[in-house]
Amino acid sequence: MDMDMDMDIPLPEELDLLESNARLLEDYPDPEAPEPYPYEDQEAPPAAQPPSSPDLQFDSEIQVIGQKRSRSVSPNGSLSETAELSEEKRCRTDESARATDEDWLRYSPPKGNESVVVEQGSFVREKMLSRYASEIDGECMPITAPNGDRVYARLDRLEGEERMKKLDVRANSDGLILEPINILFEKMDQEAFTKTLEASSKCQNVPDIPETPIVHEQLWVDKYTPNSFTELLSDEHTNRQVLLWLKQWDSSVFGSEICSTSDEVLSSLKRHSTVVQNQKPLDSKFQRTIGGPKWSNHRYRNSKSMDESGSSKSFQDILTRKVKHTGPPEQKILLLCGPPGLGKTTLAHVAARHCGYHVVEVNASDDRSTSTIESKILNVVEMNSIMSDSRPQCLVMDEIDGALSDGKGAVEVLLKMVSVEKKSDAGKENLVKERSGRRSSKKGHKKASLSRPVICICNDLYAPALRPLRQVAKVHIFVQPTVSRVVSRLKYICTREGMKVNAIALTALAEYTECDIRSCLNTLQFLNKKKEAVNVFDIGSQVVGRKDMSKNVLDIWKEVFQRKKAKAERKSHNSKPFEVNSLYSLVSSRGDYDLILDGIHENILQLNYHDPVMQKTVKCLNSLGVSDLLHQYIMRTQQNPLLVYLPPTAITVHQLVAQIQKPNIEWPRSYQRHRTMMAEKMDILNTWHYKIPPYIARNLSASSFVEDLISPLLYILSPPTIKPVALQLLSDKEKNDLAQLVSTMVSYSVTYKNMKSDMVPNSLRHEVADHLTLSFDPPICEFINFKDYTSNHYVLAPAVKQILVHEVEKQKILQVSIDRPLGNGSSSERPEFIEAGTSNAQSSKINHADAISVKNIQNESNVTKGRKNNANATIVSQNSHPRKGTADNMKLQNTGRMRMPSSGSFFDRFRKLNNKGFRSDDRTEQKEATLDKALHPLLFKFNEGFTNAVKRPVRIREFLL
Amino acid sequence: MQIRMKCNCGEGNCSEWAIVDVQGVVEAQPSFQDRLQNLEIGVLCRPSSQEVYTLTIGYHELTGSKVPLKKPILVLKKTKQSGVDSDRENNCNVELHVVGVIRQRILFKTRPKALISKAKVEAKETQKSTI
Repeated sequence: MDMDMDMDIPLPEELDLLESNARLLEDYPDPEAPEPYPYEDQEAPPAAQPPSSPDLQFDSEIQVIGQKRSRSVSPNGSLSETAELSEEKRCRTDESARATDEDWLRYSPPKGNESVVVEQGSFVREKMLSRYASEIDGECMPITAPNGDRVYARLDRLEGEERMKKLDVRANSDGLILEPINILFEKMDQEAFTKTLEASSKCQNVPDIPETPIVHEQLWVDKYTPNSFTELLSDEHTNRQVLLWLKQWDSSVFGSEICSTSDEVLSSLKRHSTVVQNQKPLDSKFQRTIGGPKWSNHRYRNSKSMDESGSSKSFQDILTRKVKHTGPPEQKILLLCGPPGLGKTTLAHVAARHCGYHVVEVNASDDRSTSTIESKILNVVEMNSIMSDSRPQCLVMDEIDGALSDGKGAVEVLLKMVSVEKKSDAGKENLVKERSGRRSSKKGHKKASLSRPVICICNDLYAPALRPLRQVAKVHIFVQPTVSRVVSRLKYICTREGMKVNAIALTALAEYTECDIRSCLNTLQFLNKKKEAVNVFDIGSQVVGRKDMSKNVLDIWKEVFQRKKAKAERKSHNSKPFEVNSLYSLVSSRGDYDLILDGIHENILQLNYHDPVMQKTVKCLNSLGVSDLLHQYIMRTQQNPLLVYLPPTAITVHQLVAQIQKPNIEWPRSYQRHRTMMAEKMDILNTWHYKIPPYIARNLSASSFVEDLISPLLYILSPPTIKPVALQLLSDKEKNDLAQLVSTMVSYSVTYKNMKSDMVPNSLRHEVADHLTLSFDPPICEFINFKDYTSNHYVLAPAVKQILVHEVEKQKILQVSIDRPLGNGSSSERPEFIEAGTSNAQSSKINHADAISVKNIQNESNVTKGRKNNANATIVSQNSHPRKGTADNMKLQNTGRMRMPSSGSFFDRFRKLNNKGFRSDDRTEQKEATLDKALHPLLFKFNEGFTNAVKRPVRIREFLL
Repeated sequence: MQIRMKCNCGEGNCSEWAIVDVQGVVEAQPSFQDRLQNLEIGVLCRPSSQEVYTLTIGYHELTGSKVPLKKPILVLKKTKQSGVDSDRENNCNVELHVVGVIRQRILFKTRPKALISKAKVEAKETQKSTI
């Protein structure tokens, strides 16, 4: 009860309020507490009495009985009353024999009991006792002592009845089993109850423990862990909120205030928040049937008031509401977050214990895969513990943000449970509230719903893994306790430990560790052990153990760009090295240097620092450049030890440009953006590359494509000579040009396609921004979208493009049919020729043409050979020839190039060959046609125009010829 | 003038015909000019339950729809009975038999789609791979 008094000290009204939430008035001064527990007392004397020989026992027997008689009246008054009700059943035997200790009597074999009952209260007299049954005349019964001795006692009925009346009072006091079974049960209940009572009072007495001297080896942090709610160092408001939240669970976890048990139990219930588990089913059932409808009516309102109650209006009002509120809180998960060492874990433990929960902690070091965590949570949430410690459990998940993947699993499981609960709730509201009954629906979803409090603890609230959890959980952010509070606590501990430290040093220490009490205590203990004093001026150099923690990237950037205020700088005496050190550790503990430096690089020019001749900027960018080179080198060679040289860049930048005012930092995006754009373009280029027939594509690399080829190709693909007129009106030369252009496009698999002009925003050729325009299908213009470069090629008229689309399509179909017997070579020779003729500056082109010319020869010979061999050439045989031919091509290609060194003469020759190739082409085309004819006897010829274009009356006569 | 016709089929039971209306010309390959009999023109089918029809002629596929005619057309067969009553009126020995009624036409007015047979494509691919 000491603690209870302590608790009242800070703000009694508020605590009262908290207690009233629970409706279990813990803090009542309980008058009955000193009451002796009957069994404890009864057990004491027999333990003191040594087992003695039967003869001695006989003498002392009466004395013992007398003692008991006198004692039994006071504590067991209630029991004796009830016992008298069932008088006719009661009978007694003498405990004479060796039965001095009550245990033996209480647990004597039921057989003996029965026999006694059957014989209607027989009484065994001392003198009739013997070791041998034969020595006793008349009826006798065996009595066995715990040590194995057996005696026989004579039964005397007449006297027994007399004695029975006399010994009435004594009957219940000696605790024989002759009591009716329900009384025994009652007793057992009470026993269990008193046990828990003891346990709970013990747990509340825990605060006394720190005062007692403790083993020296223990860590101070553990030693001085706050054990009661009032000892907590963390923010008072947060503490209350957490406690309030936990108390909201009481109704659903512990049952309610309506109790069907005896008055004694009820009063104890009021005294202690912990309730025996085995009473719970009774209570909850009772309550559910009666109080059910009431909740659903008031639930919504209550939950609203819940939230406000922290800021507390008149608590009388709240108290009345609270009484009605019985469901678990709206948000079933509590998320505590804050920097390390502020006592989040401690708060969770203390608060849960204070509310009578058994704390089950899942730490970062535990196995936290989804499956294990799920089973663990289910265990905690669903089971009533059957351990000796029968308090309900409360799950504390520490460092839930710790390892990303692990934490995610846990978060997922929790979310699933919460969502299930929500769904069932929603479903319930749709149904008729009262009738459907909370219980039945709950049973249906019981599998995965949270019915015990879960407290999650994290350091970084904005960790990506916690994003979904943040929305469903009640979040409390820990703020740093005031330095004075921490210092006073540290001082208290120091004096307890006999360590002499002055307040200034402690303040400095607390400031240095940012009020991280854990690291403060660890440091102090360490120094104490080393018999050193805390050095005020150079705490940084002394070992200050801190929890491994990395800051947010944004914080790091802020840190880099922002200088500490002058006041703070003055305070930390040797600011420069300290600053450097802290920055270095900050950056290096975070790790992703490329991201950090990226952010610096993108934000540095947005800062307004004083730099009239751009010296600072140049320096910064230089150092960034160096770090970039370094990073690249590290990445390429995997020389990871060199990574330690990256953070100094940030320090340099900080020294140069840090400002006092708050920087406006943006997340670096340009790198990502450009990278994705690059990937996209490369993708398009590659797919285009694959579409181009391999004999062209193999000579082109991606870089040569972009750097050398595309701009001239654009010129080639849009010659200014083609006029936008109908095909029939073109002259022969123009037709030839067009044919060449089309075949070029086909061989480079370029075509025009309808595209929305805004989809190609930077496109050079589509200034018209309103409707669909035709543009190149692989958007090759995009590839040469260099800065300050405009390709001045001629833009074809849309009509021409339209024609080209058709022609290219036609050419493709034709090519497919022609290619089948001939292979790719012959179909693409024309474009190659044009290519070579127009862009003769490019050596790669010449190589091409080279190859093609050789191919021509080869193909021609193939064709002629094929024709000779079999007129009805099958596909298979035709296929085999080009295959052979290409194999030869490869060989001939090299020799051919050597043979023709001068390009001029080569082209002449090529032209001739080309003509020949054409002829052979025609011939094969005819043959192909005949093959086609065999397949399709009738062909359809489409008439352009509309059917309703020309209307002419026709007489029926003309049909009926 | 009244023309009499014979209808062998029962009342309202005339067999239904349809017109395939094509924008274009169906031509025979030169090698088949002389023997047009029993040539398959193409395949007309209705791929889905909608009134959409495809007609495949040669390597073209036409897509069209069913359109009701404004006025139905009667398909007649004219037979001349020669000889017997030739000295009387000429008109009499000509008989018209009703073969069917046309109430619908299937109209193909869009540009045909070119069919490239699968076999060719495969052949091309194999060639590519050999190169």
